[in-house]
Formats: sequence, structure tokens, C-alpha cells
Amino acid sequence: MNILCANNVKKYYGTEPVLVKALDGVTLEIEQGSFTAIVGTSGSGKSTLLNMLGGLDNPTSGSIVVDGQELNGMGRNELTIFRRRKIGFIFQNYNLIPNLSIYDNIVLPVELDGRKADDKYITSIVKTLGLEDKLYRKPNKLSGGQQQRAAIARALATKPAIILADEPTGNLDSHTSQEVIGLLQATSKSFHQTVVMITHDNEIAQLADRTIRIEDGRIAESRW
Amino acid sequence: MKIIKYILFFANIFLLTCGGIFILKEVNNAAMKLLLTFIILSLGLVNLCSYFYFRRRFINFSDDICNYTQNIMNGVSIQSLQNKETLTSKIIMELEKMNSIVKFKFDENKKEKKEIQEMVSEITHQIKTPVSNIKMYCGMLSDEDIIQEQSVQFVDVIKKQLVKLEFLLDTLIKSSRLETDMINLEPADNRIIETLAVAVNDIIHKAGHKNIEISVDCRSSIRVYHDMKWTAEAIGNILDNAVKYTPENGKIHISVNTGEMYTEIKIRDTGKGIETAHINDIFKRFYREKSVSKIEGLGLGLYLARHIITLQKGYISVHSVQGKGSCFSVCLPNRF
Repeated sequence: MNILCANNVKKYYGTEPVLVKALDGVTLEIEQGSFTAIVGTSGSGKSTLLNMLGGLDNPTSGSIVVDGQELNGMGRNELTIFRRRKIGFIFQNYNLIPNLSIYDNIVLPVELDGRKADDKYITSIVKTLGLEDKLYRKPNKLSGGQQQRAAIARALATKPAIILADEPTGNLDSHTSQEVIGLLQATSKSFHQTVVMITHDNEIAQLADRTIRIEDGRIAESRW
Repeated sequence: MKIIKYILFFANIFLLTCGGIFILKEVNNAAMKLLLTFIILSLGLVNLCSYFYFRRRFINFSDDICNYTQNIMNGVSIQSLQNKETLTSKIIMELEKMNSIVKFKFDENKKEKKEIQEMVSEITHQIKTPVSNIKMYCGMLSDEDIIQEQSVQFVDVIKKQLVKLEFLLDTLIKSSRLETDMINLEPADNRIIETLAVAVNDIIHKAGHKNIEISVDCRSSIRVYHDMKWTAEAIGNILDNAVKYTPENGKIHISVNTGEMYTEIKIRDTGKGIETAHINDIFKRFYREKSVSKIEGLGLGLYLARHIITLQKGYISVHSVQGKGSCFSVCLPNRF
């Protein structure tokens, strides 16, 4: 079953003389439970595509269907709740909230939904991510790698059906990168999650079930 | 819950009665008396009504949930309730998520079961041939007028068939381990070097035959929370593969590094390597590379290895350069 479908998605910025085509007709389908890597040079439209898939940005034209629901037709509030319940985002620049402790940051998406965090589960991911002694510190007291791991823990906290990761290992050394991808693969297996990840690292792209290469806003290659 | 209900009910009655007595005894003005009685009675009525109202709502709510659950069970997604800020929507979306996970696991189990059944029937079928061969040659051996030369030849054939039989039985045992229940993990805080010793000991004989050198680089103090027996089996399978696909006089090097989250056991060989296109396939069950079909095996070893490591929340990754060798990294979490 395809959980993510993009149909001829276009995203243009500006008007004619200075028209920038960030995405120029992208059509793709991603199967539920798969692990997909998106590669491409910077400025090729990878992040734009990921933001569209996650409902963070609206396409100029084309449709995006996530888990059977058309994103275009959703209102703002609906879209917010949709993201909160279905999607875990790992941002390149972490986007941790500076005045909350690491623990509060991690459970924030769960609490926003008015639920109680599954403490057992949170403890287990925090443990594998090696953050258990950093839980009550503020994000700015942590190294880049640690902040990135906290961002990963936050994305996993709600056990979302889809995890969208924008260079989740951009600030980690190659060894820790492998470890983080290993963790993503392990959790996505046990909760049948779909992972879409942008990466520059070819070695990490190799670990994915499928690699999609994007060039100049188009899919240049899609390899299983 | 029931007790609380009764306590609340009687407390209500008690308070109303107290109020009533107070009015009758202490208030003298008749109009005031009437007004206060009216207030107290209406308070009681509001109380009663709100009890029934909330009870009704609660029942409706649970009825809704039951109905929707039935729908979900029938595979119907409830579109009208997606992404709403209501309790029902929240529960429904969680239920749908659970449903999809359970369905996926169910399908996966079904597929696995079918594969195992197919393999078992194939192996049992293959066992027939060597057994009937052995039977036939035994019969010929017991014939009195065969010459010495022939009998040596027959014994040789029987020996070969027995080796084949042994291999098939071995695979059968291995495949029975694939049934998840068979893998009973008992993780403990063990030294990784002991696990490696077990795995290497099993393979050293085989490696000796091909004059392959095995070296281990591991600090004896490294401890990881893992199951010794099964992890040794997993590493043993990887080593077995390394020995199988490394030509004579090759080298196998095992090194152990501790990372922040995982401890990595690296197994590097100087074998034939793996084609990049097939690097993800080697862990699939029954996968055999076409170029190695002459070498004995059923494509279970690496599958089993990954299975065991994944059960312990670890993972295996591979790097390989064709013609130069492969490097398997077995990563086990430092904390279970």
C-alpha cells in the first residue's frame, strides 16, 4: 500500500523573469513501511519536496495524498492535527525549543495532543540514543550531535506512521550517523513506520530500501 | 467506581436533607421558607439531571467508539473523524494506527510461515535421495560376490551421501530456529570477548583447512548487554560466510569498538566481496548470489544473523568492495 503519493507536484517561487522552479513536476509513490533516501545536490529541491510531503508547505500545483488523505483539501487546523498525529519531523537545524528541557522537548508533541507520554517507550528511545543523563538540561547546553539525537527522540515520541527526516545525520560523525540510522531502521521496523530521509552521505543512502535522486526539481533516478 | 457512585448519591441526599431541616427549623419567614425550599429542590434536580446527562453522553461516547472499532476491524477508514481536536478522533486515529501495525505484522507472519513450510518440504524432499542411495549401496555391499575394489567404491559413495544428509539436517535445524519462539534471548552483562571466543572456536577448524588467518582485536574489558549463545551463533554465521567466500591463504580480522550508543563488532575478510547491487539482498532469506551457486548453502545464515541481532535491538551493516573483501559491522546497543 502506498502511504505517500505525490502527483505532478510543482512549486514555483517568484514571477516570470525571475521564476524559480524549486520543484518541477515530481510524481512519486512511497510504500508503507519502506525506508527511502532522497539524495541530490543542494538547491535541487530535496527539502522542498520533504516539506510538501509533510504538509509544511503548499505546492503551486499538483496533489499530495498522505495515508489516503488529500493535503490540499485540509484546513489549517486540520493540517496541524494531521501533522501532529501522523508525522514525525526531524529538522536539519533541530528546531528544539530553547527554554524547555530536553525531556519536555521530547514529549512536547505528545502533550500537545493532550495525551500522556508513554514513559516506558520514551525511556527506551532516550536510552538507546544515549540521552538519559541529559534529559533535564536545556538544548543550548548540549553538543550539536546530542541536540540532533534529541530531535530524533522527539520525532519518534508519538510513534508516528511517517518519519520525515531532513539530513538527520548532518551534524554527526560517520560512526554515530550509522548508529542513528540503525536506530531509525529498528524503530520503523517494530512500528511499521515509513521513513523518508534526505542525506548527502552515500554510505547512508545505501542502507535504504530505495534511493531517489533529485536534480533541478525533478526526479532523476529512482532505484530500489 | 461503584462505591464512589453510591457515596456521591448518599452525600447528595444527606446535604439536601440537612438543607431541608435547616430551613424548617431556623427560617421563620414563610416566603423565605418557600424560596429556599424551591432552591434546594431545584439544586437536587439539577444534580440528578446532570448525572443522567453525563451518563448518557458517556454511553454514547463508548457506543461510538465500539461502532467505529467495528468499522476499523472491517477495514473501513472513518474519514469524517480524521484530524479533529476531539477525544473520539484521537482514539479513532490511534486505533487505526494500531490496526495497520497489527495487520502488517500478521501479513508478515503469514508470509514467513509459508516460506518456512516451503523450505521444510523442499529439504525433506531432498533428504529422500541420499537415503535411498545409501539404502541401495548398502544392499549392493551386502551382496556376497562383489570384489574388494567395488566395495571401496560403494563405501565412498555412501560417505558422500552421508555428508549431504548431514548438511541437509543441519539446514533443517537452522531453519527451525527461524521460528521466533525458538530464539529465547537471555541477555546479560557479558564480556564481548567471550562471545567472540565461542564463535571463533567453532570456525577455526574450517578456516585452518583453507589456511585462513583469523585475528581478533578486542579489549577484554568491553562489556555489552547481550545474549551470549545467540550472538555467538550470529557472529558464527557471518564468520562461516567469510570463510566460505575467502580464497585460501586469506585473512579475517575481527575488531571491536565502543561507540556512544552501540558497540560495533567489525568482521573484515579478504574474500570475493559482494556486488553493490546485491548488498541489501544478502540478508534476505534463501538469497544466494548466482555466481556462488556451486558453494553449499541455503541462504539462511545471514538472515538468521540479522534476525538475532535485530531481536537484541542492534543492526548489521555491510561495506564491500568486489574482489577485495567485505566488512560486516554487527552493532549491539550498549544499553538494552
